[in-house]
Amino acid sequence: MTRRRFAVTALATCVAASACRQADAARTARADSSMLAQRETRLEQSLSQPDTAAKDSTTADRKAIARWIMPRNLDELSGIALTHDGRLLAHGDEKAQVSEIDYRRGVVTKQFVVGHPTVKADLEAITIAHGFVYLLASNGTLYEFQEGANGARVDYTTHDTRLGKECEFEGLAFDSTLNALLLACKHVGTKHLKDDLVIYRWKLEGGGDRLSRLTVPLKDIVGPIGEKHFHPSDITVDPFTGDYVLIAGIEKAMVEITPEGRVVFARKLPGDHDQPESVAITKDSILIIGDEAKRVPAVLTLYRWP
Amino acid sequence: MSLSFKRVIDTVTLGSDRPIRRLLAYYIILGGVFAALLYFFPVVGQIASGERLEELTAAPQILQDGLTSGAFQSQAARLPSSVQLALTTTLCIVATLLLMLPVTWVYMSARRTKRHNQSVVETLIMLPIVVASIILIVRNSLALAFSLAGVVAAVRFRNTLRDTRDTVFIFLAIGIGFAAGVQAITVGAIASVIFNLVLLFLWRTDFGRNALVTTASAQQWAEPLKLLAEGDGHGNGNGNGKGNVAVHDHDIVLALSPQKVDALAARFDRVRRIAGRKKPRFNALLSFTTEEPAVVQPALEETLGRYTKRWMLDEVVSSEGKPTEVSYLVKLRKSMPGDALMAEIRSVVGSKLTACDIELSDALEEETEAETGKASG
Repeated sequence: MTRRRFAVTALATCVAASACRQADAARTARADSSMLAQRETRLEQSLSQPDTAAKDSTTADRKAIARWIMPRNLDELSGIALTHDGRLLAHGDEKAQVSEIDYRRGVVTKQFVVGHPTVKADLEAITIAHGFVYLLASNGTLYEFQEGANGARVDYTTHDTRLGKECEFEGLAFDSTLNALLLACKHVGTKHLKDDLVIYRWKLEGGGDRLSRLTVPLKDIVGPIGEKHFHPSDITVDPFTGDYVLIAGIEKAMVEITPEGRVVFARKLPGDHDQPESVAITKDSILIIGDEAKRVPAVLTLYRWP
Repeated sequence: MSLSFKRVIDTVTLGSDRPIRRLLAYYIILGGVFAALLYFFPVVGQIASGERLEELTAAPQILQDGLTSGAFQSQAARLPSSVQLALTTTLCIVATLLLMLPVTWVYMSARRTKRHNQSVVETLIMLPIVVASIILIVRNSLALAFSLAGVVAAVRFRNTLRDTRDTVFIFLAIGIGFAAGVQAITVGAIASVIFNLVLLFLWRTDFGRNALVTTASAQQWAEPLKLLAEGDGHGNGNGNGKGNVAVHDHDIVLALSPQKVDALAARFDRVRRIAGRKKPRFNALLSFTTEEPAVVQPALEETLGRYTKRWMLDEVVSSEGKPTEVSYLVKLRKSMPGDALMAEIRSVVGSKLTACDIELSDALEEETEAETGKASG
């Protein structure tokens, strides 16, 4: 075979391979589309059928209806929150990179970053209020910004709650009734509050009196879950009742309290959560619990709610 | 290994020795190998992901189904972060090496001066590796960056490069190192390809040269151009070393680019073809010296009129105290070759000549030699 023939043959092979690859890509796209439709159908069916495994209305014995394994850049999944129109936003622990996840089909649909350069902090929780997204750092600093488009980089403003010495924060939610952000305290710094579950309320409007505190005696919580303490990892507001739902990563437990501080229930989470760090409840009756990567990759697990 | 690789390059370039083709062949092979690795080992894509640059991945991204695929186990078996870091670092460094190799080839070959600085070549290989490693270490840490600046300031490795081109190569090395460090090796690859191609193009065309300064590419043409200027190049001369090509400024000719040389040669050929259709009017130069030119010239001219086809007085040089030099251009008859003409002249005016000679043109000499050969054969 002459060199010229060899070159022509190689070129033809490359063209043919390229065509095959394109056809393969089209087939893959069709397969993906079909798979996503199947996922959504499966979720709908799970939601419509009664959960025979559940002994009561809590999640303790609930079977997961979906579980999505997070990509590598969301290994340190630290917080999740739902937008007003029901889209799920998630963020990592160290960098202010926000991802939008279609929790019904298991697709990351959008990602954007906050700040020029990207904000780096010990970010623990996220919530949305009045069209603004808030990220909470463990020292009580709030980063406020507007949701960005895919691949965008958005500007932000910071709010210092000056509560860094009071406690180490891990949870953030928005109580629309009070028009206040709820900041759940994981480790309380104040001695006389050591035996309480502490939640700070930070009103979005107001002057000097915008900060208030909700305390719940830990003894009302730790008894039912059989633990000595309860360290909240995240907090969310039940869209049906307005109650506060908190989860604890260390104790792998969940508690629901009323805005007045009465404990509705306290239960263990299902046993296969590795490191639950975030929680959200959707308007279509789904409880979403996010686990940070530890022994296994980060996952989002969906349960029926309530 | 290097021989087999050379063979591969030869095959891809169809045996061409043109540097641009060989360079492109190298990059094509490199791209092919990378694509194959990417296909079979997707982890290789990390070095071109730009993850460090933007820390963003393409969306939408379908997540694995943890309920049905049993992917927990497979995901748990993912490489530990330390192994992944080691792998990424190795890939980045190897990639910088592969991208800098052709840059060093171009640096060593496509240059104006004959010699290159070996330490710069070694630096071009090593510098991006060091830069990539530093970027991988510094990541996005401002503290580490400041620490690095402090250390660098303490080391004081600054050096003045003689050639501006060396500086540009060093900048490219740093750029490729940066690209590898932020895992955007695609940027480094494109920079390497375009840089080399542009540099080869500039070198090949002697872009921006000074017309009166001999360039590197002109140097390799120096000898042929010298001959051309003297009239022997490309068959433009008449064979006697004093060509009919009027090129007075040899420096300008030596500064010509190869393309211009070709154009000039083509022009000379064209002129020669047009002018050479007719047979030359004269085919010999008769020259003699005499003390009595007034007596010799009429007798000689009468002899020439009798025994040659045509003749013409070419030059008369008279000097005080010296014999007069006289030259005639003549067209010899076949029946009267040069030697016979000389014998006839000597018989007529031989006593009054101090010296006499006849120079035949190339064609006539060849004919004469051929006839002499036949006669002796």
